[in-house]
Amino acid sequence: MRIRITLVMLLLGAVGAGAARAHAFLDHASPLVGSTVATAPSEVALTFTQNLEAAFSSVQITDGKGVRVEQGKPQISGNTMRVGLKAAGPGRYQVHWHVLSVDTHKTEGNFSFTVSGP
Amino acid sequence: MSRFLAHACTFAIGLLLVSLPLSNAFAHCFVGARFFPATLVIDDPCVADEMSLPTVDWFPTPGTPHGSQVDISAEFDKRITEDLGFGISDVWSQIRTPGGPVVQGLGDLETTLQYQLLKDASHETAMLLGLIVDWGGTGNVNAGIGTPYSMLTPTYYFGQGLGGLPDDLEFARPLAITGQIGYQIPTTSYVLSQNLNIPQVLVYGASLQYSMPYLKSEVKDLQFPDFINHLIPIVEAQLFTPVTNNLGNPSTTTGTINPGVIYIGSTYQIGIEAIIPVNSASGSGVGVLGQLHFYLDDMFPNTLGQPLIGGTSTPSKTPL
Repeated sequence: MRIRITLVMLLLGAVGAGAARAHAFLDHASPLVGSTVATAPSEVALTFTQNLEAAFSSVQITDGKGVRVEQGKPQISGNTMRVGLKAAGPGRYQVHWHVLSVDTHKTEGNFSFTVSGP
Repeated sequence: MSRFLAHACTFAIGLLLVSLPLSNAFAHCFVGARFFPATLVIDDPCVADEMSLPTVDWFPTPGTPHGSQVDISAEFDKRITEDLGFGISDVWSQIRTPGGPVVQGLGDLETTLQYQLLKDASHETAMLLGLIVDWGGTGNVNAGIGTPYSMLTPTYYFGQGLGGLPDDLEFARPLAITGQIGYQIPTTSYVLSQNLNIPQVLVYGASLQYSMPYLKSEVKDLQFPDFINHLIPIVEAQLFTPVTNNLGNPSTTTGTINPGVIYIGSTYQIGIEAIIPVNSASGSGVGVLGQLHFYLDDMFPNTLGQPLIGGTSTPSKTPL
């Protein structure tokens, strides 16, 4: 019985904790991860599964030649990070993000999207 | 202590655990963009604060006619420092043989000391060294579930994500391989009462896993339903090959292949796998294995999720 009670409490803890805290995974991005878009977007938006610490989260976008094309500092609100994009032509763009969730779990990732051009 | 007081104490401990403050902790098995889940049969290649509770399996035992075995086990792993970890586990087993008595009891207590050799984020590579000790005499020796002698198994673990594959193979980039190889050394070479040689055994295994979370966030977002994006299909295998001092014992390699799937939640994972014996000496039919696993560093990042020594309370900024 004692084991059962402790188990129930731990499970409740897991569910409760899971509702608000954990590592920040990339939930979705705009443009979509791996997608091809006709025209270059004016910004890239990344939405995570957890809220972010703005001071410790950043994003870098490079073009096919490795030149950085993000514009200004990323704007972070809750679980979303946005950064402007300099005028970008057709080609493949690499997004490298590095974030810290509000409970200080660090995660990072990379993805690309392609601008096909008119 | 009365039953009421005992239950009240247990409830209080449980309440304390779930109400601990949640802040300031670092990862379980994240290596760059790669997340290696806790595998069910072999171990993942990272020290971590985690708990498997419970792991349950059922499988038909070798022989004709065959019997069956049920195991229920628990494992708790804790980081001592950022790179050094300690684990403790035990298993309760029940073995049914046709026409024979049902035997059951605890197996030997198992402890594991592990050191993180490498976490290379850019190459998605992890390496780990460990020493597994099965403590003889701590299990039900009379039932044949525990052993009167201990066993030491120095073990090397690795994990390798395939995220670095070229674009032509982009849909293979969510693949990852993990594995371990250990050498099991018993503290005695002969059990007089059973007239039995105790061999030294090579213990080795591997997993091949395909991460749908990785596919979605690193390769291509195919807009699958959210449930699908939490799955990691996996095949594990674990094998045992007697190497020396095996006189009088079968010299066959035994083991299982375990295809299944792991669902990754934010603070837990649930895994289910089939148990397929590699030969008749390993089992006589397909069994099943399930596990509920908790990421303690996500559940209790300010307490249980911190290393005992050198836990970091303030993150350092890593410039891009």
